[in-house]
Amino acid sequence: MVELTDVRYKAGGTTILDGVSVGFRENRFNVIIGPNGAGKSTLLKIASGLLQPTSGLVKYDGEPVSGIDPEALARRRAVLSQSIELAFGLTVEEVVLIGRFPHYDAAPGKIDREIVERAIEAVDLVEKRDQLYPTLSGGEKQKAQLARILAQLWRTESSRGNRVLFLDEPVTGLDIHYQLHILDIARRMLSENCTVIAILHDLNVAFEYADSVMVLDKGCIAHETDDAHSIPAELIERVFSVRAAKAGDYWRFAPLKP
Amino acid sequence: MLRRLSVRQIHLALFLILILVLFISAGVGAYSYTPAQMIRYIGQSLGWIAPTDADALQRNVFLSLRLPRVLLSAITGAVLGISGSLMQGLFRNPIVEPGLAGTSAGAALGAALVFVLGGASLSIAAPLGALAVPVFAFAGGFAATMIVYRVSSAFGKVNVFTLLLAGIAINAVCGAGTGFLSYIARDPQARNITFWNLGTFTGASWPAVALSSFCLIIGFLIVRRFAKSLDALMLGEDEAALLGMNPRRLILILLIVNTVMVAAVTAAVGVIAFVGLVVPHMLRMLRSPSYAFLLPASGLLGAAILAAIDVIARVLIPPAELPIGIITAIIGAPVFLAVLLRDQKRGLAGIYG
Repeated sequence: MVELTDVRYKAGGTTILDGVSVGFRENRFNVIIGPNGAGKSTLLKIASGLLQPTSGLVKYDGEPVSGIDPEALARRRAVLSQSIELAFGLTVEEVVLIGRFPHYDAAPGKIDREIVERAIEAVDLVEKRDQLYPTLSGGEKQKAQLARILAQLWRTESSRGNRVLFLDEPVTGLDIHYQLHILDIARRMLSENCTVIAILHDLNVAFEYADSVMVLDKGCIAHETDDAHSIPAELIERVFSVRAAKAGDYWRFAPLKP
Repeated sequence: MLRRLSVRQIHLALFLILILVLFISAGVGAYSYTPAQMIRYIGQSLGWIAPTDADALQRNVFLSLRLPRVLLSAITGAVLGISGSLMQGLFRNPIVEPGLAGTSAGAALGAALVFVLGGASLSIAAPLGALAVPVFAFAGGFAATMIVYRVSSAFGKVNVFTLLLAGIAINAVCGAGTGFLSYIARDPQARNITFWNLGTFTGASWPAVALSSFCLIIGFLIVRRFAKSLDALMLGEDEAALLGMNPRRLILILLIVNTVMVAAVTAAVGVIAFVGLVVPHMLRMLRSPSYAFLLPASGLLGAAILAAIDVIARVLIPPAELPIGIITAIIGAPVFLAVLLRDQKRGLAGIYG
């Protein structure tokens, strides 16, 4: 359970988050949607412990995040960001091994090597394991990063507790094959004591995967539901400033003024 | 193919190359020495072998001039190579080196300050004695590097264009300061500064070898512990923080250690460009550059290259010798351009921005 209590964040006199209280339950795919500038990324940074809120509290299973040792925290939660570029030509395997850094001291153990192996298998990059990261396509890069994140959170005999997987617009700019592939792998993590919290932009994709949806608008929660299909069209129209209509299970959108 | 070699094999090969270059470098010059002679002289100076008077002059030249010079060139090369790898990781950019980020120029300005104004007239420098030059070199180098880093890294990302421009600005200011000092200096001091701005091993002495090797060994032992963190930092400061590291602290520690090493050798031999830039690039052609591989390898390769360049400096126009910085620039710049061109062709050019 990831719990945010009255989280506020101000930067340079601008209020970015204005009192957000929400609980993300385990073994669920929690989706955050909202227009650009709503504060989604800031919320995710605060929830993952990367950023300190101006006021308010973030707790994992009742434990305040600010009190957890950074390395222990890194074994408990991971973040897949939007497109990471690398200035140097590490191989896919070396990039994935970075995910094991919080788990070993000087040199990787046999178990770390094995987990790297299995994480690469899980994202279908076995053939590309020795290829240099900067030469991969955008979709392959993101799969390599996902493998790194999987390796970071991999469940072993010694680490069985709840884990949290944050996805910060993980499929933006990827073709539909990679979008679904990456989200499918993330969804598989649910069966392993993992809470998934994802920011997604494509609403149809978001509602397809979501077990619960939170709509963020102007730093506040505009709507919360466990049934993505119950979200009223008026809400989407107001928050995103579009015309929205449902066709079956899917949404169609049009600009406000044609 | 070379890429098939393991990390250990490459390290061993580089070590053997370095030993070979050191023997060649120690043997070539106004006097030439065979390896047997070298070992005998070293044994005699350590008291293992009884000294003979027959070749006292040759022995003296070897022990007090040749040997410290060869060692200092290798230590300097090792520091510049390691520093290049380190700074390229910290700035997350493969074109950074101590010469570009202002470290060398700042250190040179600090050292020139002591050279010209002298320990006596600078009241802070007086109690430092012989350490005044390295300490001032450190202060100058650290200030310059920090300014370039702060200006070019906003929001956890280093902007490469800002970095280049900030480096140019800081180098210009430091160069102007050093130029002004050599303008107001008395003649012998001024010549000293000019020659030393291009790098020279002529002043090599055992105290200089001792101080720079001390800084190199301590510095290397510290940075080696951060090999993992440097790999993680390649992903960016946020990602490193998410992996449980403290990137701000890491960058500060490594910049300090880096500046200590660079300042120590700059105070001894002056400004030598391009070694720190080219060495990590050559190694990245061999193998993917994880830091556990890169740090020792760039030390070994840097040492071998600079020791070899010192041989060229001594034998090209005898009995005079060329300043080292001229040769490193003449060789290093085309090598660097070739690397850029090759990356451009392989579609890796985007990694510079």
